[in-house]
Amino acid sequence: MNTLFTRDKGKPKYWERFLSRWMLWGENCVKVPLFGCQRCGECILSHTAFICSQRCPKRLRNGPCGGIREGGYCEAYPERRCVWYRIYGRARWMHRLAFLGRIEQIHNWNLEKTSAWLNVFTKRIKPPTLFIWKKDPYDVA
Amino acid sequence: MTLREKIETGKFLVTAEMGPPQSNSGDVLRKKAVYFQKGVDGVNITDNQTAIVRLSSIASAKILLDEGLEPVIQMTCRDRNRIALQSDLLGASALGIENVLCLTGDFPTFGNHPEAKPVFDLDSVQLIAMVTQLNEGRFLSGETMKLAPHFLIGGGANPFAEPLEFRVLRLAKKIRAGARFIQTQPVFDLERFSEWMGLVRKHGLHEKAAILAGVMPVKSAKALLYMQRDVPGVRIHHDYIQRMEKADSPQEEGIRIAVEIIEELKNIEGVRGTHLMPLLWESIAPRILEESGLLH
Repeated sequence: MNTLFTRDKGKPKYWERFLSRWMLWGENCVKVPLFGCQRCGECILSHTAFICSQRCPKRLRNGPCGGIREGGYCEAYPERRCVWYRIYGRARWMHRLAFLGRIEQIHNWNLEKTSAWLNVFTKRIKPPTLFIWKKDPYDVA
Repeated sequence: MTLREKIETGKFLVTAEMGPPQSNSGDVLRKKAVYFQKGVDGVNITDNQTAIVRLSSIASAKILLDEGLEPVIQMTCRDRNRIALQSDLLGASALGIENVLCLTGDFPTFGNHPEAKPVFDLDSVQLIAMVTQLNEGRFLSGETMKLAPHFLIGGGANPFAEPLEFRVLRLAKKIRAGARFIQTQPVFDLERFSEWMGLVRKHGLHEKAAILAGVMPVKSAKALLYMQRDVPGVRIHHDYIQRMEKADSPQEEGIRIAVEIIEELKNIEGVRGTHLMPLLWESIAPRILEESGLLH
């Protein structure tokens, strides 16, 4: 059992590719304007207080790098706000800090530009955790 | 004694950082190695820091190993995907290198090849978890290997970047993933560092990993101002800048400040050692260690 990442399940079948295209279209309509989704296909939006962490230029999934500038600006693009800085602010506001204490899995790059909803359905990724009882981020394994 | 054993013993540790040259000259490293022969428990070799091409970290580590030092290689996720990371780690282990510091890495736009493709296949927390798995004798894919490496894993921490609470949480993640020593960014703001250490102690993280606070001796006020302005994530107390500007001999003042900071760090509960970063000024390391009573 590998907990660091979910194993790739091989080439998608024809119906999967067909369905993925349509579901991705639907997902784009919702997730792009609402959460700034980057279509990584391995959605962790529910863990990151509904701001897409993949807008980070380094595509970090486990929190901010050490290069945040004064006032929470990005290291690589000084005019942009660090997305993890915003995630932390919103997670605190939404009482979802406990989600940030988990170690996120390594990304499967084969899933780029595929539908995350379909990937949950076909068990290519783990289903999102929408709620956990624990409130202490240091207590989450 | 290796760094791993020294961490167990509980003595005040000293690690130092060395930047490899921007050429294939191994002699530069051999010359610099002289300064770290005494009193230094581990020498970090940076992995193309600030995204500027330099002599490879692993090759430099091998040179230092032959000089009788204990090298700590840095591994960044900037340039390698999971295949290259694992292969390089196995290579390092085969050469006899036992310590690895896992970092995310600077973005390529800082360096001399700003057009390069940033890789960032893994992030530093996942890299630490992957090295832990390699230590257990399994590749990331889950396949077993015949002979497992045994790395002492380290992580980086930046107590000075916002948001402070998230910094400590991310440190906790790194320690949970398997980091056994933590090296911080250079301390130029003791107030903020104490605040961060307070949170680290609150969650008991200093008991699970050795925290080595960064100390950087600087030569001039200009260097400090440059760091404050252009290096993201560094915070410098204005007192130090003023002192450097007023000093008759900025170099002496820089040494005095570094020694002062080390003395203060010794008194902070939970700090297990110091990580000296004499950027392009390695020759000053023995003097700083002597003045702060760390030459033993």
